Amino acid sequence: MYLKSIKISNFRNFTSLRTDFYPRTNVFFGQNGSGKTNLLEAIFVLCLGRSHRSASDAIIINQDANFYRIEGEIVKKSEGVQSLSVAFEKGGRKKITLNKVPLKVAELYKNFSAVIVNPEDSNIISGPPSVRRTFIDIYLAQYSQDYLRTLVDYQKILAQKNAALKKEIDPTPFSELLIEYGVSIMIKRIEFLEEIKDATSGYYHQISGGDDLCFQYKPSVNFNEGMVSKNDIKEAFESCLAKNREREKIVKTSLVGPHRDELYFSINNLPAREFGSQGEWRTAALSLKMAVYHLLRRKRKLNPLLLLDEIFAELDQKRAESLMQSFDNLGQLFLTTAVKPPEFLKRDSRNYQIEKGKIIDII
Amino acid sequence: MFKSAGSVERLVNQLARLPGIGRNTRLAFHILKLSKEEAFELADAIHEVKEKVGFCSVCNNISETDPCQTCSDPSRQQDIICVVEDSSDAAAIDKAEGFKGLFHVLDGRLSPLDGIGPDDLKIKSLLERIKNNNISEIIIATNPNVEGEATAIYLSRLLKPMGVKVTRIARGLPVGSDLEYADAVTLTRALEGRQDI
Ligand SMILES: [Zn+2]
Repeated sequence: MYLKSIKISNFRNFTSLRTDFYPRTNVFFGQNGSGKTNLLEAIFVLCLGRSHRSASDAIIINQDANFYRIEGEIVKKSEGVQSLSVAFEKGGRKKITLNKVPLKVAELYKNFSAVIVNPEDSNIISGPPSVRRTFIDIYLAQYSQDYLRTLVDYQKILAQKNAALKKEIDPTPFSELLIEYGVSIMIKRIEFLEEIKDATSGYYHQISGGDDLCFQYKPSVNFNEGMVSKNDIKEAFESCLAKNREREKIVKTSLVGPHRDELYFSINNLPAREFGSQGEWRTAALSLKMAVYHLLRRKRKLNPLLLLDEIFAELDQKRAESLMQSFDNLGQLFLTTAVKPPEFLKRDSRNYQIEKGKIIDII
Repeated sequence: MFKSAGSVERLVNQLARLPGIGRNTRLAFHILKLSKEEAFELADAIHEVKEKVGFCSVCNNISETDPCQTCSDPSRQQDIICVVEDSSDAAAIDKAEGFKGLFHVLDGRLSPLDGIGPDDLKIKSLLERIKNNNISEIIIATNPNVEGEATAIYLSRLLKPMGVKVTRIARGLPVGSDLEYADAVTLTRALEGRQDI
């Protein structure tokens, strides 16, 4: 799939912008604050209905307006040109349409796919556990509608169980459901992480020039690694819940389940969160996203949009070039850079110079 | 938004109390546009329903008589009860004609977020019916969503030790849709395919 054109109204520092895109590489260059990152964000919001940077839609509206709208034409081999729009008005609900027909967020995930790499990604390694869970959820849901549905229901169950604990209503039926849905979430997460494990280490090895990156899934429900039959996980979940039943009553919140899952990274056998550098975190996150991109290509049988925000800051010319080469003949690519686009990017690409929320030149 | 007519505002406020409507001025204007006869007919119907219709003291379903028609119909199977959340669910299942037993309306579903626990549902009267009336099977037909599932789990844990057969309406129903909106064929098939839980 590729994004043929976009029309943006009142999104961050863009009041109004309309442009066509090239089916291969599109480079946005301009100074910091010019809006090149916001343009990537708008493309991501158009594909997945949410921002990767902010949970709140009100924040991404241009400060002088009370709504934003992003429209785009997406071309897919199977469906041809489709028109997609995402709009949000202050105090209202988000409205998504595909070919003018209202669409649910879940259906966006089913129809489109995008992977974004940006400087804040170092938080996947060094930030709080919720960042790691969100990373897993956003990308797993792009190839498993089943996962997305289960996750939505799991969150409802969790909210009901927590309310029961707070209001001293018997939480047992919700605990049983929590186990049922929680187990399938954990199984899907194990499969997902297994699928990207080797590729992630491979990319890290390549980009860092020989270092080792590993990660390990640490669910809040303890079970031995390798022992991953559905029944084993269910039993482990049950006994872990039983052990925590009294404590949950005291603290009035759910202590066990995939909403407390963790993912630990290590670089050259040292815990990355404690011992890694900012640069290593970013390279680790980049490797993860590359692995995810290739997983999604395989699972979805289409090329997700790949959005790369300021990745050249970390990489020397040689590594940047070899990284870009690995995307040759793949899907559509959007990348930002503060400096003039490097020579090797110029083949098969279109460059957009951006200043103060406007495209001032296309080369 | 208009500010003029206080009586229109009153109508909007009253309509907003109904589920799934909210402050819908379009609906209020629609009523305004009705002829006097049509509008009074609507008001009259609301008035009459509140005068005549109450709840069956046996199954808790809405009814003009007590006990209700279903509970006093000897041709229905007397030892099998289908448990539903609301009267509208009972009506939907009855219309499907796949079911010839009795009903029990819980008057809600477990939802701690709304402050609704087991004590807020008509469960005690269900237990009485099972104990006193030789009930052999309970079909739990709560909605196929999180709250409906939790209610079904709660009931089956409670009822099984009483020696009654407990079945759950099969999950052939569209996920996330409520019983009321499922078509008759789906409902009939779901009831035929009920499973032991
Ligand atoms: Zn009755």
